[in-house]
Amino acid sequence: MNIRIVKSTMLIAAFGAMFLALFTNGARAAIDGISGSSFNLAVRTGQISTPDGGSLLMWGYADGAGLAQYPGPTLIVNQGDTIIVTLTNNLTVAGAAPPPNVSIVFPGQQVSIAAADPGVLGSLTSEATPGATVTYEFTATNAGTYTYYSGTDSALQVEMGLMGALIVRPTAGVDHAYNHQDTQFDREYLFLLSEMDARIHEEVEFFGPGSIAATDYIANYFSVLWFINGRAAPDTMAEANLALLPHQPYNILPKMHPGERLLMRIIGGGRQMHPFHHHGNHARIIALDGRLLESAPGLGPDLSHEVFTVPSHPGTTTDAIFEWTGKGLEWDIYGGTDVDRPHDCNGKAVGVAQDPGAPEFDPVTHEYCADHGKPFPVIMPQQPDLTFGGFFGGSPYLGSLDALPPGEGGLNPNGGFTYMWHSHNEKELANYDIFPGGMMTMLFIEAPGVTIP
Amino acid sequence: MNSTIIIKNVRSAAFLLAALLLTTASSYALDLAAVEAEWTPPGSATPVNMWGFIADPGTCPGAPVPWTTGPDQIEAAGGTLTIQLRNCLSEPVSLVIPGQPTTLNPQVVLDGQDRPRVQAFTHEAAGGGSAIYTWNNLKPGSYLYQSGSHPAKQIQMGLYGALKVGSYAGAVNEVTLLYSEVDPALHSSLSPATPLNYKPKYFLVNGQSFAPGEAAPGIAAGRANETLLIRFLNAGLMSHTPVVQGPYMKIIAEDGNLYPYPREQYSALLAAGKTLDALWTPVKEGSFAIYDRSMSLSSNGAPGGGMLVHLNAGTDRFPWILFIPAITGMGVPVVP
Repeated sequence: MNIRIVKSTMLIAAFGAMFLALFTNGARAAIDGISGSSFNLAVRTGQISTPDGGSLLMWGYADGAGLAQYPGPTLIVNQGDTIIVTLTNNLTVAGAAPPPNVSIVFPGQQVSIAAADPGVLGSLTSEATPGATVTYEFTATNAGTYTYYSGTDSALQVEMGLMGALIVRPTAGVDHAYNHQDTQFDREYLFLLSEMDARIHEEVEFFGPGSIAATDYIANYFSVLWFINGRAAPDTMAEANLALLPHQPYNILPKMHPGERLLMRIIGGGRQMHPFHHHGNHARIIALDGRLLESAPGLGPDLSHEVFTVPSHPGTTTDAIFEWTGKGLEWDIYGGTDVDRPHDCNGKAVGVAQDPGAPEFDPVTHEYCADHGKPFPVIMPQQPDLTFGGFFGGSPYLGSLDALPPGEGGLNPNGGFTYMWHSHNEKELANYDIFPGGMMTMLFIEAPGVTIP
Repeated sequence: MNSTIIIKNVRSAAFLLAALLLTTASSYALDLAAVEAEWTPPGSATPVNMWGFIADPGTCPGAPVPWTTGPDQIEAAGGTLTIQLRNCLSEPVSLVIPGQPTTLNPQVVLDGQDRPRVQAFTHEAAGGGSAIYTWNNLKPGSYLYQSGSHPAKQIQMGLYGALKVGSYAGAVNEVTLLYSEVDPALHSSLSPATPLNYKPKYFLVNGQSFAPGEAAPGIAAGRANETLLIRFLNAGLMSHTPVVQGPYMKIIAEDGNLYPYPREQYSALLAAGKTLDALWTPVKEGSFAIYDRSMSLSSNGAPGGGMLVHLNAGTDRFPWILFIPAITGMGVPVVP
């Protein structure tokens, strides 16, 4: 089942270790965003950086007076609250024509427009004219993962960057995705998937949005860049709120301990489908569009199912629970009889048989005790015969490091297991045709005791 | 296979099946003609050559007719559908309905090297000729009828329409949203491009599109608090993702197959050739947009336009109206 990923060797050349968040507290287990019930967003221009050295004009939602960001601020609210979002149109564009109106739609929410700040009516919702505002109100009736984006000329404005995530915390608590015990999680991560067609951004940057109509770029769309949470790999794994990426504050570097439940909140933020493939184990899809997959209210996700590739569709949100223990590897992840790494499983040392009827997993390390003491089934080659990757710490065992030649390793300081999580449309593992990059990050399984912020 | 799934979930499926409005088996004969047609895109004065299905006028039209999707075929579950197809085009045309079992007779022709090649999924009406197609024991649900001859070319030329069999319990009203696309480059009579290079410029719902700056089409969608059946059909070659504003949809069937449990979503992946049936109840009077989140929201390159329509829910039926007939002895009032 679980084949440890050695693909990472090919990535090392692309990854500057100095950017990586692995050594820092920059990666957070909680999802970055802004919390509350009243938000002031503004639309401004910005520049996003791509790891191929590119820089593209984008339009982004900003938190108040802050910088435009891609994606927009993740709005984190509590179920039952009345949410008020005031949008200011501070957009500027090239050319003589005035900037366009902008707006926000919140799919799945019953939105009303504030009588005191109605904006002007557009085709999908009320809009803010240049320099003006509009205020949206809705009650966060249902918990779950949602998205928001521009409802004004959406084919252009969402492409330019006007989209973001909305998370509604259930009354059951911040460690639940929904109001059912089967949605409890230990860690949660956002995977807001999107893509860009650079031609559109260049056209808008130099000639203004009005000139797009003279091209076929919107209809004959051709993406060349792919993002998770607004960043393309390897920037996905860099720290959040990095000064080098002022308009792309969010990162994505999922980490967990064996036995934990990791909630994946996956959003189709762009206009194309992305098959999001998570190595390491299957994940159980428990909700779509902010609704539990349940046969009747209150039953919990009894219609959930497991996948190893989450089909993410435009505008659709998917919640999935991912778990990992090492069961099925058929060797002891903490060290077999071939090495001197003493540890217990259900109180039994390496090499000591389990009691009949003992629990399947150790209560602390979550080791799969049926494999306790089984050695790694490969005779490790001599170092001169190996090609190293930055994520290899010298040992096949979790939480262990061994000697490496000078200059090797370094991206995995705690001896974790790394699994690539990425678009299974392999073309999207690139930045403008430069491999590797794009819609990709790494999952870190860290040994028990390793602090995950 | 699909029937197996339903049988496995027989309890819930039976619940829904029982709710379907089944009628006794009956036979219907409908006559269609495949004709030369023209469609004038929004914001353009130049019509695009199309092929279309129309109700058979009895003789072939002398000039291209205005194009739209083929006439809705509305049938009862379990019945027999018979269609006599008059072919007013110069090349053979046939009729297939994916999901409705019938006996197909694939047409094989020999190519220049005497190798057999399939030209059509079933028997054809030759250019200028006619043919009869029959489907027995119609299965409930929503289906596309379309050309079974050279489908890569003929379907995108416009030879498609909707077949609607039966209805669903709880649905008071229904609308049909038939999605498709037009690439004018493939429709040039002088030098049509190959379907390999399909790059549509126009994105249609029910054969209609609109230009940026124009109002999106509105579709009457019953009244507030009345459950609406939305039949989604995709006759295009691209996938689309309709997103509905306002309340969630309950998606209840796919390709004419009932789900064991409804799927509550605001979005629906509508792959090419697929049909979905959904129940949706507008919670208030008003206009609810339903648009393609895959962003086929442009018209001839310009943002705005495309696959966006408004479902217009009328005034709620005031409860006291229901009592008026009893009180006054008048007939049942007609509420618009």
